Amino acid sequence: MSDSVIANYKLAKAPIYSHCFSQDRSILAVTLNTDCLVFKMVPNGKPQLVASLSDHDKTVTAVDISIHGRILTCSQDRNAIVWEPLSDGSYKPTLVLLRINRAATCVRWAPSGYKFAVGSSARIIAVCYYEQENDWWVSKHIKKPIKSTVNCLSWHQNGIILACGGTDGYVRAFSGFVKGLDSKDQVASSPWADKFPFGALVREWYNGAWIHDVEWRSSQEKLAYVTHSGSFNVVDSSGQMWAAEYPEGLPLTSVVWVNDHEAVCGGFACHPVLFTEGASGWQFSKNIDKTVASRTPVAATFDEEGQDETGSFGISALKKFKDLDLKGKVSTQVQECTHENAIMELAPYSEASGNVTEISSCGLDGKVVIYRV
Amino acid sequence: MEDWRRIDIDAFDPDSGRLNVEDLKPPYEATISLAELEPKISQLRSAATSGDFATALQLLTSDPPYSADETAKARYFEAVLSVLTQVRQAEIASLIKQLSSTQIDVLIKYLYKGMSVPDGQKQGGILLSWFEKLTQNSGVAPVVRYLSDRNTV
Repeated sequence: MSDSVIANYKLAKAPIYSHCFSQDRSILAVTLNTDCLVFKMVPNGKPQLVASLSDHDKTVTAVDISIHGRILTCSQDRNAIVWEPLSDGSYKPTLVLLRINRAATCVRWAPSGYKFAVGSSARIIAVCYYEQENDWWVSKHIKKPIKSTVNCLSWHQNGIILACGGTDGYVRAFSGFVKGLDSKDQVASSPWADKFPFGALVREWYNGAWIHDVEWRSSQEKLAYVTHSGSFNVVDSSGQMWAAEYPEGLPLTSVVWVNDHEAVCGGFACHPVLFTEGASGWQFSKNIDKTVASRTPVAATFDEEGQDETGSFGISALKKFKDLDLKGKVSTQVQECTHENAIMELAPYSEASGNVTEISSCGLDGKVVIYRV
Repeated sequence: MEDWRRIDIDAFDPDSGRLNVEDLKPPYEATISLAELEPKISQLRSAATSGDFATALQLLTSDPPYSADETAKARYFEAVLSVLTQVRQAEIASLIKQLSSTQIDVLIKYLYKGMSVPDGQKQGGILLSWFEKLTQNSGVAPVVRYLSDRNTV
């Protein structure tokens, strides 16, 4: 473990696809199989399990907590549930009928906490808001022109522009304007469009690869997204685009802005990666929490052409078999990073004077890790 | 597990639409016809016959005809394959070193394409050694990018 890791919680023996801390960082919610587990954070200790939200009957795919503390989960059972915290520490579920015929894949509360969006494999984004008269969460659909599964969502700080990315290779920005809830003042003098009727396509960008995560930098009116091809991209309202490749070339699944010129991405490489914007645009800056493996050097190399093994391709597997052949056992693997499997989601954990200083992550190894940036 | 995963839910809802091949094609502004490709094909062939593989490789890895139709792509690929297969084993590594990362991303597409068509499979050995040298030079990154790129050669 390197010194950039602040905390490392092994919470489950199954993948954690999504996690979320409450506003004051006292509560941690993680998805686990068909449940959502709620933990209370203990200073310098292991998080304490306080509730298990188990109304879904298929895999829970995403979780988010609103500024008011309401937990929102969505699942492959095609439903979303809003969990209202009660004074006795339990949670009261309210089922939200999304009216979709395929799995719900991602959820995001709007910054106001009064509406949220759910992405799905049914090529639909459901924007849901609470209707007082009926005591009911109403869901409105954004359909066109989404052609495939929606993987990720991000609300602009103004609470109206909703960005999404999916497996059709497009990043799109829609208007999520809800009459009676939003006002036009929120988007006054927005550089993105003049009018924001609900469901209107504000902008779209083609990338081609699966888009795994999108994230607004609202103050800069910029949007960052990461793809399965391992590229980090930033776009703005004037049509400018910046792209940077992750040198290790593994897919990136999540992105978090650190400040206006820095962003951290996570993915199949199991450790976060920092991208920075310099004079020549965005580029890869450094790996976080990746120590150089101190493997014992192999005395003899077998390569017939005497080539060196500096190329990274398949070397670990090759070495494993060589060791098995030579010594009859596999050499002990050196752990290079805290996460032992792909990182699925990153989130800002703490901020200081406009800079994100700590980020949290969850991964397929069932861990939640907090990093210092 | 019940059998619900096997139910074709789209059959119950004709409006839901299915993702088809056309949906996945990148939005090209213009398409390249075979006639427009001919000069490049003959350039490639003459570079290959004169043994100037460095030029040929630069040529075939820049501005590939992504927007051409399948027949044009097949014709163009014949020329590409003739270049790739004429290069001597020993030269491959040094040729690859001269390419930029974008060019390597294009080259790997031709290697995969070659391995997928009968003409290329006859030359499978040499394509595999191209592939080996390429991954030794650039790691897995070009492979990952190839898998998610919808611009095909």
